[in-house]
Amino acid sequence: MINSCKAIEIINLTKLYANGRGINDLSLEINPGEIFGFLGPNGAGKTTAMKAMTGLIKPDRGDVKIFGYSIRDQYELAMSEVGCLIETAESYPFLSAWDNLKLQARYYPKVDTKRIEEVLEITGMLKFKDEKPRRFSLGMKQRLGLAAAILSKPKILILDEPLNGLDVEGMIEMRNLIKSLAENESTTFFISSHLIHDVELTCTRIGVIYDGIILNVDSTQNILQNYATVENYFVSEVERNGRISSSIPQ
Amino acid sequence: MAAFQAAFLNELEKLYKKRKFSVALVISILVIIVGQLVILGVRSGFGLRGVGSLEFPVLVLSIVINTILPLFTALVTIDCFSGEFTRNLMRITLTRPVSRFKIFTAKVAAICSFIVANLLLLFLLSALAGFLFNANSATFASWSRILLAYLVSALPLFVLALLLILLANIIKNSTSVFFASVILFLAMKAAGVLLSQYAGLLMTTHLDWYKLWLADTWPWDKILRQFCLMLGYGIMLFTAGFYLFDKRDY
Repeated sequence: MINSCKAIEIINLTKLYANGRGINDLSLEINPGEIFGFLGPNGAGKTTAMKAMTGLIKPDRGDVKIFGYSIRDQYELAMSEVGCLIETAESYPFLSAWDNLKLQARYYPKVDTKRIEEVLEITGMLKFKDEKPRRFSLGMKQRLGLAAAILSKPKILILDEPLNGLDVEGMIEMRNLIKSLAENESTTFFISSHLIHDVELTCTRIGVIYDGIILNVDSTQNILQNYATVENYFVSEVERNGRISSSIPQ
Repeated sequence: MAAFQAAFLNELEKLYKKRKFSVALVISILVIIVGQLVILGVRSGFGLRGVGSLEFPVLVLSIVINTILPLFTALVTIDCFSGEFTRNLMRITLTRPVSRFKIFTAKVAAICSFIVANLLLLFLLSALAGFLFNANSATFASWSRILLAYLVSALPLFVLALLLILLANIIKNSTSVFFASVILFLAMKAAGVLLSQYAGLLMTTHLDWYKLWLADTWPWDKILRQFCLMLGYGIMLFTAGFYLFDKRDY
């Protein structure tokens, strides 16, 4: 099934909305097993990029390849090894947590009831399996969304703000889960988060996006050799770009 | 095919779990009971025969095909599309390894299955009531003809569902789609009366095409003409509906 050495290739991806926001000519390569952190201020284009990567929006130009399969032309093959959590964790409110996962398991022949139980256990949702998500807190919905994302043991996980709504315990559990999946199962992660400290602790490579354009991509190790924290690096990159933008005569 | 099958089963399960089938069952039973009570009232109060066992299911069909069946079709169709658009539930399916075409077709197939199940249920209930309470003058051949009338009634309802799907993909809000559908339905009914020379082109007129199948000798020319019109509408509406569904950002 896997036919390329790159886990994710984003090639000149462009999606511009009527208000002028979006992403412009975004190109990135993510290697298998990497935990890639996608940092950017609000409205920088993180979610747009992730939506385009998962086929939720159609780009104006460019393409995304997942293990060599184009998201535009070979959607089913491209998505067969992807699990994702985009914007908010959605679930059918009229179905129990268990039934929600059962519905999604139908797309993967290898996923059985044992695996459903396993992901509910991993995400700490087993005791709520018969409850309907309409009564869940934001954190519980997020956990259920994560359970759905890891259900098929995907080789790539695309997570947009995965720590949203989680308590401290949940954040630590999530961080450990990401690390253990990357180490033990070589899962590739593409994570966007506004929690820079968490990105620093979790990610192996970091890309900064500003105003729909990738400013820089570097390994966390390199960043921390040159800056005291990833936050300093992020602020420096964004400020540098902001100065450049503001110095351009209108 | 496996992905389509999974999407189709999921759509059916969602319809079932949302109790759409139960509501349809309850209302269908109520329609039969009320209809039968009216017949009994007419018989005992005015000394009229009312209807025989054979006429009762036809009488029921003539009423429901212009009232509760389009209403159920509208409710289920709007829920399947607009309901999921507005609550962002479409993303749950769209981020799985299944193409948008298969998702769209699975939803259409589930709505069509609901329509056929609803018609069969009404046939069984009305036939049972006809047997129990009305003079029995039926033969196997006449029953098969009535069953056929019920089954062919599914076709104009499929076309109606495709029109509603198109509306659901144009208008964002579920309530607006519902009101637009009601207005459009009433407008087509009024146009059928006011512009009777063009009534044959209207979808609402096709709802009564089951009458052609109840004739002693089938009028093949009329049947073929109406069938071709409905097929044409169906193909155009399916294509337009899918085009908008596929183009949409989620």
